[in-house]
Amino acid sequence: MVIVRRVKPLPYWIIPIIALLAGIAVSTIILYILAGASPAAVFSAIAYGFTRPGVIAKIFVALTIVGIALLVSFKGSIWNIGGEGQITFGMMAAAWVALFTMLPYINPGLAQASMIILAMIAGGFWALLAALPRAYLGLDEVPVTLIMNYIAYYIVDLLVYGPWRGSSTHNYPRTDTIPSQAMFPQIPGTTMTWDGLFLLIITFIGVWYLLRNTSIGLRIKILGNNPNLLRSSGINVPLTIILALTISGLIAGSVGALYLGGDVYHIGYPIESQTANYGYTGILVAWLSMLELIAVPLAAYIVSALYEAGIKYQTLVGGNLGGMLTSGTSAIVDIFIGSILLLYTILITFSEYKIKIIIER
Amino acid sequence: MSGSILSFIVGASSLFLAYYLAAVGHGLMEKSGILNLAIDGVFTLGVAIAFAVSVYTLSVPMAILATSIIAALFGLMLAFITTKLPISHGAAGLSTMFLGYGLAALVGLPAKVVENKRLISGSEGLAIIQPSLGYMWVWFYVAVFIVAVTIWYLIEKTKIGAAIRAAGENPASAEALGVNVLAVRLFASGVGYALIGIGAAIFELAYSPVWSQGKGMGYGWIAFAISLSAGRHPILTLVPAMIFAALEKFRFIIESTYNVPTDLGKMLPFVAAIAAMIIFMVTPLKRKLAPPKSLGKIYFREERTV
Repeated sequence: MVIVRRVKPLPYWIIPIIALLAGIAVSTIILYILAGASPAAVFSAIAYGFTRPGVIAKIFVALTIVGIALLVSFKGSIWNIGGEGQITFGMMAAAWVALFTMLPYINPGLAQASMIILAMIAGGFWALLAALPRAYLGLDEVPVTLIMNYIAYYIVDLLVYGPWRGSSTHNYPRTDTIPSQAMFPQIPGTTMTWDGLFLLIITFIGVWYLLRNTSIGLRIKILGNNPNLLRSSGINVPLTIILALTISGLIAGSVGALYLGGDVYHIGYPIESQTANYGYTGILVAWLSMLELIAVPLAAYIVSALYEAGIKYQTLVGGNLGGMLTSGTSAIVDIFIGSILLLYTILITFSEYKIKIIIER
Repeated sequence: MSGSILSFIVGASSLFLAYYLAAVGHGLMEKSGILNLAIDGVFTLGVAIAFAVSVYTLSVPMAILATSIIAALFGLMLAFITTKLPISHGAAGLSTMFLGYGLAALVGLPAKVVENKRLISGSEGLAIIQPSLGYMWVWFYVAVFIVAVTIWYLIEKTKIGAAIRAAGENPASAEALGVNVLAVRLFASGVGYALIGIGAAIFELAYSPVWSQGKGMGYGWIAFAISLSAGRHPILTLVPAMIFAALEKFRFIIESTYNVPTDLGKMLPFVAAIAAMIIFMVTPLKRKLAPPKSLGKIYFREERTV
């Protein structure tokens, strides 16, 4: 078996689509074998997910923003696996504004804006902590950002279990529900909020401008393709690394505010078993987009439809597994995401390479 | 006083063994240059498999064997695709992690149904195969000692070990010197993941013999952090494995006695891992304990001639 480079790469959209279809097929087979679930139920759940834009809107907005956040660092070949921790930190900052300041009672608009801005700063700060050793010591950012997700979880757990425990929760370890003035208003007929939609548009245009028209964007792109060129042309490489990761963290942090103010309205304990895992799922979105900004919303739509399909399917086949499949942590979603992402990772090779079988005699 | 030290040593033994096996397996795999981000998913799956197989066969050796074989298959798969194809180690690992989480629920839940039916009908269920732990803890420490010395000898003193280290530092030069990088990485990952699988089985069967969906999640990352905080060295790994096993096992006692929140103890392995990584990077320990130079770097043989 020999792998040779193609003279002309395949069009970039072919592999994601093949991986998607093959991944769904593989998941269906796995579910059939292990859970005895009929393929028809899988397909009807997937059809349900893809045809309910109003229902998946909330997940779509969050995943698009996380996808864009990760894209910024991925463009610079800085693999930010820490979106989850940055979101968690953002959530913590937003909760502080909503629960422990007077802002919501003074001016709801101002309170919601400060929740988002403070969440961004918190997320950016958490990413900056991982960026510094990467930039100045060459410490691989993948394990560092990953480990920092867990540190962020436990910092929030410490707060929620201790000083932030709610006064109206019957001593149950969770924060109080945020005041209604700090809740983001929902767009009627959908699950998303006006704040979320606004943030999505701003982020998309902002990052589009950053990558297209600014020197920072150009430096990040060169960092990804040819860091030696950057070094030899006298540009501060550590600073570029720090910017790529910190901007990524800033954007991811804002999703923490959206999740708190537009979805859950409180922080539960322990947070690691109640998170929506947007930080990890966002990696799939960024990968499926082939790091093309314009394709991120499309990838996010596909992934959020599958996300919803997994939750729907769980309610359909729960009976086969003794009705014990918990709906919060979603095993079916994990199967979909895992098999699609794995196949995609493998198949992406073949957009630039082809396999030749040579029989030696 | 000696009684409390003994109860400490006995109490932490099974988790110490589970952590140590998973961490040392992880270290062995990463020594060969493959970034291993699938550990938590496969550990969680291993816990579910150990539970399911012991429910179906009522045999502890079968459960350990099945778990280690399936885990090893995941290791071989990861080593093959990351060495043979020019793909990202991180993406391959994380997607396998998701798959592991999902499969764990699908493998464990049907067995849970069987187990629950047994318990309702008045039978003892899994409890009948649980050996009375008695002096088992001695064997746990013996097992840790044997594995530690064997893996250390393998990595530091044998030809295969030299090849593993060469494949991790610079696979292209290693290949030029006649090392079969693919074979070496398959070996390191297969053995590494078999150890991770046995660790998961010990975790399920000896440390906490119950199962519910999501059991084991996060413990793979603790093993990951243990391995990193000891610079992937098989002997040094004993220290953080013991400390963090004791912290986890006795966290409620520590909380009530010293008024330290449990989440602080849970955070400690991860903080220690990052601190150790920075120390290994900036001090002379770098020679021995810094990550392999080509860890996680794409090594694609076919590309060399282009």
